[in-house]
Amino acid sequence: MTQSFLEIKGLNKNFGGLRAVNDIGFTMGRDQIIGLIGPNGAGKTTLLRLITGILKPDAGSVRFKGKEIVGRKTWNIVNMGIACTFQNMRPFRRLPIIANVMVSCMCPRALKRGEWVKRLEAKAMDALEFAGISDMAREQASTLSQGDLKRLEVARAVATEPELLLLDEPFGGLSPAETDLMAKSIKRLHKGGRFGRLHSEGPAMIIVEHKLHWLMKIVDRIIVLNFGTVIADGTPEEIINNPQVIEAYLGQGGK
Amino acid sequence: MKVILFYIKKLFTISKNEVLVLPSRVVVVLFFLFLLLLPVFTKDDYILRIFTLTGIFALLAASWDLLSGFTGQLNFGHALFFGVGAYGAALINLHAKIPPWGSIPLGALAAVLAGLIVGIPSLRLKGTYLALTTLSFPIILIGLIFAFPGFTGGELGISGISKLTQSRVADYYVVSVLLLGLCTIMWKITDSNIGIIFHAIREDEVAVRASGINTTRYKLLAFCLSGFFAGISGGLYAHFMRIAGPSTLEVSLSFQVVIWAIFGGIVTIYGPIGAVFLLFPLLELLRFWQDYRTLMFACVVLFILLYMPDGLFRWLRDKIEKECPRCKIRNVSTRDTCRVCTASLD
Repeated sequence: MTQSFLEIKGLNKNFGGLRAVNDIGFTMGRDQIIGLIGPNGAGKTTLLRLITGILKPDAGSVRFKGKEIVGRKTWNIVNMGIACTFQNMRPFRRLPIIANVMVSCMCPRALKRGEWVKRLEAKAMDALEFAGISDMAREQASTLSQGDLKRLEVARAVATEPELLLLDEPFGGLSPAETDLMAKSIKRLHKGGRFGRLHSEGPAMIIVEHKLHWLMKIVDRIIVLNFGTVIADGTPEEIINNPQVIEAYLGQGGK
Repeated sequence: MKVILFYIKKLFTISKNEVLVLPSRVVVVLFFLFLLLLPVFTKDDYILRIFTLTGIFALLAASWDLLSGFTGQLNFGHALFFGVGAYGAALINLHAKIPPWGSIPLGALAAVLAGLIVGIPSLRLKGTYLALTTLSFPIILIGLIFAFPGFTGGELGISGISKLTQSRVADYYVVSVLLLGLCTIMWKITDSNIGIIFHAIREDEVAVRASGINTTRYKLLAFCLSGFFAGISGGLYAHFMRIAGPSTLEVSLSFQVVIWAIFGGIVTIYGPIGAVFLLFPLLELLRFWQDYRTLMFACVVLFILLYMPDGLFRWLRDKIEKECPRCKIRNVSTRDTCRVCTASLD
């Protein structure tokens, strides 16, 4: 029997009385890009944080390449090959941008995979190049605009050379033209290959996003969450015609 | 002969192109020269003694900056490392009869152990809670010292330790050379890749974890490094004063370190050192007005912190130097264009 790449079973998380994630379960393959959508407060970000171990689930299991990762430390999970970005960007504000990425380049996984890279700065620079902000490498991160911070988040995640990339609103705060560029780079990243000294495994991805127009172009499968549960799961065409999804987004009774 | 000439030429070029262009670097070189040449000009025991103690406390303040400034682990009980270093060196010297060159590093290792003991329970704590927890550790140790007076000397402390060296000038040289060497090492650490991780942990620990860095390891490393340097200064203090008493663990010493570091500017290493070299002799100078000594000291510190919240030495550095907006290299503020990329400095 082939083991699935990522297998989530019965995941639960309560915040006080609020059930943020309620019995979510799905599996994904090695080469999939999943779009995770849902109204605000549906538990999308919470789900990503449960996978990366920033939050601890109350119940359930997450298996990555056959290994249980619930209960492991965040850095161990990242070093197994799951990288994530934050929705509310969390750069190291008083450090130069290149130093932000160098921190990721210093994690054991990135060091092992880039043994032939003699200078971390060079690799960090290539990650910035990939995200399109290499021209500001020496600026402090606090001077960046929202859109550039998003790119910095992506550069930081990519620098750990992940096999599963969890992107939390990668298009948030980007203009339409920038969104096009970002969507293209995500596709390029998914194809895999080398970006200078940076190596891409062609990671599987879970993308949380509200800009459905662009999301539909990238992903090949969409999971819709509402009130912490999966209400639909299928290809983009199936999702846009699903009455439950329309109800969750627009409400009932609209004719 | 040619080789020597080559190196002299190289030294000359470096000093011309790298050192003389920036006033802050010139000041650092002058500071090195001042420390190393002071005994040539004065052999006065009192002055040498003041500067020896200044050097010891400068090392302590710099080690606080390494832990609390760079890594952001606010430590209000830094006297613990100092006291453990002092007591460790004193006990090892007294009972095992190991001379100072052996007992000081061993005392410092004891302080590293203390760093681990403080570090492990406070890994999950942040900010004020961490500060309060660390504040309690030296108080606990004082309690233990009073509880076992037979071994630790109780309130009187441990006396009869061997001298650091045989003469005051040699004492001074041991301390100042160690100060310069160890502070250069500290500065190198903070300037390296490890230093970047320390900075990042201060900024946002969760984001560092999400970058795949084992933050526990690096936080403990910061505690141990800081404990090591503070322990060395404690051992030097014990051997210089020839007594290791409970005063090395006092809360006031812990706060003194914080005041020095913030006065000079945290996250700099050079800031706390400069601050101690200003404030400690100043406190001695104010002995001429014995009654108002502490009051005037407090006024000076408050005045500086009111008008230069980033610390005195950072403020000074920003006054005499400015950063090139294009290539981020520092220039003298009198220049109009950057010395490297010739961009105009606004």
